[in-house]
Amino acid sequence: MRLVLERFLHNAGALLAVTTILFFMFRLMPGTPLAAYINDNLNADQQRLMLEMFGLDKPMWMQYFIYLGNLVHGELGLSFFQRRPVLDILLEVLPNSLILTLTGLVVAYIFGVLAGAWLAWKRGSWVEGVAVPIVLASRAAPEFWIGMVLLALLSFNLGWFPSGGANSPGMFYTSEWQRLVSLDYLQHLALPVLTLALYLQGLPLLLMRSNMLEVMHEEFVVMARMKGFSQWRIVIRHAARNALLPVVTAFALGIGISMGGNVVVETVFSWPGIGRMLVTAVANLDYPLAQGAFLMIALVLITMNFVADLLYGVLDPRVRHGRAG
Amino acid sequence: MILEVRDLEVHYRGKAAPTRAVDGASFAVPAGQIVGLVGESGCGKTTAARAIMGVLPGNARCVGGEIRFKGRTLDNAAMHDLRWRQIAYVPQSAMSSLDPVYTVGAQLAEVLTKRGTLGRAAAQARAADLFELVGLGPRRLADYPHQFSGGMRQRAAIAMALALEPSLILADEPVTALDVIVQRQVLDTLRALQQRLNLSVVLVTHDISVVAYLCDAVVVMYAGQVVESGPARDVLAHPRHPYTMGLRNAFPDLTSRATDLVPIDGSPPDLADPPAGCRFAPRCPFALAACTTGTVAVGADAPGHVSACRRDGEADALRRAALEPATWQRSSISATS
Amino acid sequence: MAERAEASLLARVRPGRGARVAAVLRRLAAMPARDPFAFAGLTIYAAFVLVALFADLLASNPPLEIVFTKAGRLAANLPPSAEFPLGTTNLGRDIYAQLVFGTRSALAVGLSAAIVVASVGTIVGLVAGYFGGWFDTVLMRIADMALSLPFLPFVVVLTGFLGASTWNIVLAVALLLWPNSARVIRSQVLTVRERAYIEAARVTGARPWRILFIHVAPNILPLSFVYGAIAIGWAIITEAGISFLGFGDSTSVSWGYMLQDAFSSQALSRGQYHWFGPPGICIMLIVVAGFFISRGYEEVFIPKLRD
Repeated sequence: MRLVLERFLHNAGALLAVTTILFFMFRLMPGTPLAAYINDNLNADQQRLMLEMFGLDKPMWMQYFIYLGNLVHGELGLSFFQRRPVLDILLEVLPNSLILTLTGLVVAYIFGVLAGAWLAWKRGSWVEGVAVPIVLASRAAPEFWIGMVLLALLSFNLGWFPSGGANSPGMFYTSEWQRLVSLDYLQHLALPVLTLALYLQGLPLLLMRSNMLEVMHEEFVVMARMKGFSQWRIVIRHAARNALLPVVTAFALGIGISMGGNVVVETVFSWPGIGRMLVTAVANLDYPLAQGAFLMIALVLITMNFVADLLYGVLDPRVRHGRAG
Repeated sequence: MILEVRDLEVHYRGKAAPTRAVDGASFAVPAGQIVGLVGESGCGKTTAARAIMGVLPGNARCVGGEIRFKGRTLDNAAMHDLRWRQIAYVPQSAMSSLDPVYTVGAQLAEVLTKRGTLGRAAAQARAADLFELVGLGPRRLADYPHQFSGGMRQRAAIAMALALEPSLILADEPVTALDVIVQRQVLDTLRALQQRLNLSVVLVTHDISVVAYLCDAVVVMYAGQVVESGPARDVLAHPRHPYTMGLRNAFPDLTSRATDLVPIDGSPPDLADPPAGCRFAPRCPFALAACTTGTVAVGADAPGHVSACRRDGEADALRRAALEPATWQRSSISATS
Repeated sequence: MAERAEASLLARVRPGRGARVAAVLRRLAAMPARDPFAFAGLTIYAAFVLVALFADLLASNPPLEIVFTKAGRLAANLPPSAEFPLGTTNLGRDIYAQLVFGTRSALAVGLSAAIVVASVGTIVGLVAGYFGGWFDTVLMRIADMALSLPFLPFVVVLTGFLGASTWNIVLAVALLLWPNSARVIRSQVLTVRERAYIEAARVTGARPWRILFIHVAPNILPLSFVYGAIAIGWAIITEAGISFLGFGDSTSVSWGYMLQDAFSSQALSRGQYHWFGPPGICIMLIVVAGFFISRGYEEVFIPKLRD
């Protein structure tokens, strides 16, 4: 319990730090401090509303606390171009990003864990000599480039998948849920997920492989052999179970990290997610929207850091009982 | 004899030549006795014990010799059946030998149900009995290994070894990691259980005082070979091999009055390229030119107290000289290396 | 006086500098055979450096010049040929020339980011690890903070608002990558400072800064090197991503610029693999080289990793 509290405070501190950095970053942007919230796209009423809401006529330190207060209430201002509350816009695209990221990660981690364990088993064989450089190469290729090649090959050349977006134009759905489970959506999802999975599988694979190699030398695995357990039981129940610990943590961290990385993949596939929203907002100098999108991504990242900390405690009794090693 | 080891050879893969960790070792374990397997680290005693279990590291292979258990030759097939049911193992570090992510009780139950014939409920009850047997409260079954102290872990490891009522236990430095008082307690438990269950035990240790405290017989190993063996009392009181004499000087002795400790100068030979003749000759204060040729080893069926030393006939005189610290100083050793 | 005492003490507890340098050199010389990966990595780097140096000789057309066929027509969307080994873009630019000149900007971004990351990370790690105290706490908190910023979005916001220049990209990459190296170097310093010869130097009264830079720093330089090598790849990939998103430096031709150009000019639907393929492969090669080297050097300099 103390550990949970400690990790919570730590991550809450990180969140506060990120919002603070963001506050000052947006105020140091070229233009007047007002530029962060108000531009000519907003009509006079909207401009006055912003002025009051963010206390832009008050000193910097007061603005900072007003800003924090607004954040707590989910008040992120109005988008310059869409003239709608930033939060509404973000909540609309957030599911798309989460679905893309989670599906990609799940595919990547299932493949990576299995392949990593298998490669550890094949230690010293030609398979290892071929596979490890290929995995390294997949980690080295730019994420969006993998997407471009897949897009050219599987979509434009072979016509297997649609080339972008989340739904075909002209489709109509009675509810958001219906949209998300429609075959059309899944078809659009496939290629970005494949890209993400290809890019992300390297980490769990290499992690699992090296953990397995390490664990296989551990005394308790040797003892399991001495006890005469079956090969399967030794590898799965003892070696893999222990080797999996850091991989699970990496998974939770991966949600946050790849949410950030998604800005490029979402752009390649015109996927209406939060990353692409950020890019568009920055390109349009839509400060409130850009700030909101960035905060949202940071929030997911930090939340997942916290989840990862907790997961590690759940899975590793040594941490759970507040004693390392 | 419950266990007979004859001309055992275990090699580790090496860059140029294999390292002959065990090189023609022979010894026997009488039923119901505790036999100490002693020697410095790297002499092959742990490797020999693991070879008996048939579980060697990936780069090691058993290349020769024979191991017989109750008259039956131990090969892979035989071992598959006997492992843990008849021959169990107490590891050196109980901490790393227990899986950190399961409770100790779960690990005991795993052995009882997967290698034994017990059902889940019976295994729970048996696990509690075993814990009581080694002096641990059954409540601790629900604890994880890291929640145990060193002595408790070692007791848990003994309980683990006793789970399937084996007739032979190989204990690899079972108390080395513990402090002296806890060492005593664990050794006493081991002794009591051995007598109560009529176990045979091979106790691998580098600590000659542990041998003196616990063992009925002793096998002294040096550089992969057995140099001396016999009843523990005899071997310790009247060592006949200079290595055993040196070993006795180098450790505080619990049975006789402690004199100043005298280390044996030099280090064991490179087992990838061992010296010809007696392997101890390069460090032996009594080595003669003849000691560096031919081979010397204790035979498998040698009864009683035997030594592989060429100068076995002069053992009494050598023993007297060996008591003098000056004998063991480097300068006094004849230039055999 | 203290220094003399220190030197004589050191001579006894620490192998001579010459012997250590010789040992490292020997291991380096044996590297191609012992670690073909690291050797391959160095070879890839060397090849790219040569291409960057002799770009003018290797490519006859300036990368942004619009070229014409012999018949005087705009040379747009040409497939690979003897004259244009990788064909031309939709606006009639020589793709091969862009690739060759792109090496320059890739190396410029990669090396400058590597130098900044390695030096900031090293200095912070050294000082925090050696002196500890509140200084250490503050620095590590800042490092934590930098690590909880989402990487690419941060770079997007920074370059998007501060202006699209190579230096802003390098700045952003450095801001986010130094904590990794600083942390690892700090923990290495924590172990090094406990070693006998450091203790000896302290006992003889050598000044802390002197101990830090003369005795501790050489031990962690290999690690700085490794993190520098990793930063090269990260910086190049990041620059490519940022350029791809349209926030890159539009005045210089980089691989990321080429990919963005190809993407927005429908090269994908036209199946012009010769256009968007090579820049990606070059990025991959240079990043892989970094992986290989960091792996190899870890083995050369941190022998405990050898199994």
